Amino acid sequence: MHEFWSAAIIGVSLGAQYALLALGFTLIFGILGVINFAHGGFYALGGYVAYSAVSGLGLPYPLAVLAAVLVTAALGYVYELFVIERFVDDHLATMMLTLGLYLMISTGLLAVFGPQSPEFSFPVKGSYSIGALRIAKENLVVLAVCGCAIGAIYWLIYRTDLGRALRALADDRQVATTQGMRPRLLFPLAFGLATGLAGLTGALVTPILALSPSAGDPVLVTSFLTVILGGLGSIAGATIAALIVGFIEAYASVYLGGSAGALVLFIMVLVILLARPTGLFGRQIRGA
Amino acid sequence: MPRRTTRGQAAAAASARRPLFAATIALAMALGGQAGAQQACEVKLGALGPMSGPAAQWGLAMLGAAELAAAEANARNFTVAGRRCTVSVVSYDTRYTAEGAAAGINNLASQGVRFVIGPVGSPEVTGAKPVATRHNLLMFANSYAKNAIGPQWPLVFHLGPGPSEWAAPIVLMAQQQFGMRSVVVVAPNDQGGTDIASVDAEVYRSLGITATEEYYQRGTTNFAPIVTRILSSRPDAVDTASSPPGDSGLIVRQLRQAGFTGPIGHLGGPGTEEIIRVAGGIDVLKNFYWYEVVPTEDPQVRAIADEYKRLLGRDAPENTNMWLWVVGARMTLRAMETAGTTTDTRKVAEALRAMPVDDPNVGRGSWAGQRFFGINQELSLPFGAGLIVDGQNRGVRRIEVGQ
Repeated sequence: MHEFWSAAIIGVSLGAQYALLALGFTLIFGILGVINFAHGGFYALGGYVAYSAVSGLGLPYPLAVLAAVLVTAALGYVYELFVIERFVDDHLATMMLTLGLYLMISTGLLAVFGPQSPEFSFPVKGSYSIGALRIAKENLVVLAVCGCAIGAIYWLIYRTDLGRALRALADDRQVATTQGMRPRLLFPLAFGLATGLAGLTGALVTPILALSPSAGDPVLVTSFLTVILGGLGSIAGATIAALIVGFIEAYASVYLGGSAGALVLFIMVLVILLARPTGLFGRQIRGA
Repeated sequence: MPRRTTRGQAAAAASARRPLFAATIALAMALGGQAGAQQACEVKLGALGPMSGPAAQWGLAMLGAAELAAAEANARNFTVAGRRCTVSVVSYDTRYTAEGAAAGINNLASQGVRFVIGPVGSPEVTGAKPVATRHNLLMFANSYAKNAIGPQWPLVFHLGPGPSEWAAPIVLMAQQQFGMRSVVVVAPNDQGGTDIASVDAEVYRSLGITATEEYYQRGTTNFAPIVTRILSSRPDAVDTASSPPGDSGLIVRQLRQAGFTGPIGHLGGPGTEEIIRVAGGIDVLKNFYWYEVVPTEDPQVRAIADEYKRLLGRDAPENTNMWLWVVGARMTLRAMETAGTTTDTRKVAEALRAMPVDDPNVGRGSWAGQRFFGINQELSLPFGAGLIVDGQNRGVRRIEVGQ
């Protein structure tokens, strides 16, 4: 029976991480209409910034995480402002620009840090035992931070003027612009917010898993899968889909094995998309 | 006033100049030809393997070996058919994939490479072999695939045998030390995992240990679900087989976090230093046994690292796989000297087959492979079995082939 509860804990933990990544991904699509192929790159970059801050500058880990968020958010802001903004309505161009940015980030990390995983471990160690069930403390910390970050994003999007402005732009850019919203100011902010979320996830998760220049490869696939399942551009959809993906991955891998687990995940997503082609919470037509 | 000459005088003068002119042309052609020959005699040694991702350690070890062999050859005036040649290394990152290796072979061939050191893993070797055969390239590959070499690929040589040849004495050593009666062998679900894990499992079973196999999708970063599944069968030991060092370190870390206290093995490509680093230290590893491709504590073998630093001015790659790759790279270059060609890969292959296996650092061995692969193109050399007990490294024991 303890496998069932272990899988539940793993599912929640994976779901929270995926939600954080998917929220950033879907924010960019929902507000700008851009599919950000560099999302995995910001995740890996966040991990390396935190690692450099801890091992190079001797900063405590929480400050290193903050540094990772600020650096990735700043890079995202600047890239949107000076590069993406010029081609924001050209889907092919933005796809190539974000893909190019991903290649630049991963190659840059490879050149600076080398291909091998650096020694970067989470500062909280040990685990709690409940009978045969073991829960790693580091997973609980990550879960708590992810929960707070998701809550903060919801508060920002649904309870602040900035969030209302961003949602207005996502809903109908023309009408929002005539009402005084300024895309040139808000788009870089939204992009920076999303890349900061990816950086936060990288800084939190890579010390638990592994840090390498290619750490962002699987992240892009999972984020893409999650937001498509939730409905591109839907914040609630991304959160719920992330939890679904996390649970399917955990239960299928525990009960069917690693190979079958991946297969079940994709089959389930396929079935859901056949029933609801726009995803769980997606809309037929984007207003932006 | 212009000097006037009769037709006869002009013909005589031309006749006198003709030998001089011919000699000049001949000298120019000879010098030009020599210069051309010197220019042409540049041997490009291909280094094909994973240089990024979890298996990067193995690829970088292979690249380091090719660079060392090239530097040694250049330092000793590498001469083929009376011509002094320079050796350079051209590398390509396969990212441990079949398609990456196939693309890499095409890329290397387009750059004039005729001899390839690598690739490292089974998926890569499977992807590279048909393309290399089409280009007539000689490949000195490593892989524990069941079809790594064969009579249909006469230009493919094999660096070292698979687990059917070396796993038994290591499992025996671990069994004596830890007394395990059941094991879960975990590896990626592609040829680089299944071809090794299935053989490892057979070896465990042949020694009376219950073995089950567990596979994961290559690219997995969170092993928590797999670890939960492994632990549900309550094994005495877990063997990470041919999982790359990065993956193995992560599996070890998550196994220990989940409360597993039994011994952990790694009967696949070496990478203990990386596994220790990713797992979080030797205390986390605690009880561990592993395969080393060469006896890594032999001072003569370790001298390769000193030679690397002396010739290349930097530390040798960490992964001990390099020390075996050096043997393959050195032999390939020596075979070119013996065959007297830097382009005819068939002649070089013939010379390689006839060459005794006797490396100045790693020692004497033999050509093997006839029984398993149907072709005698596999290097067989002494190997090592490493052991960590209660967080203490007990070192690497030398094991002779067939022991």
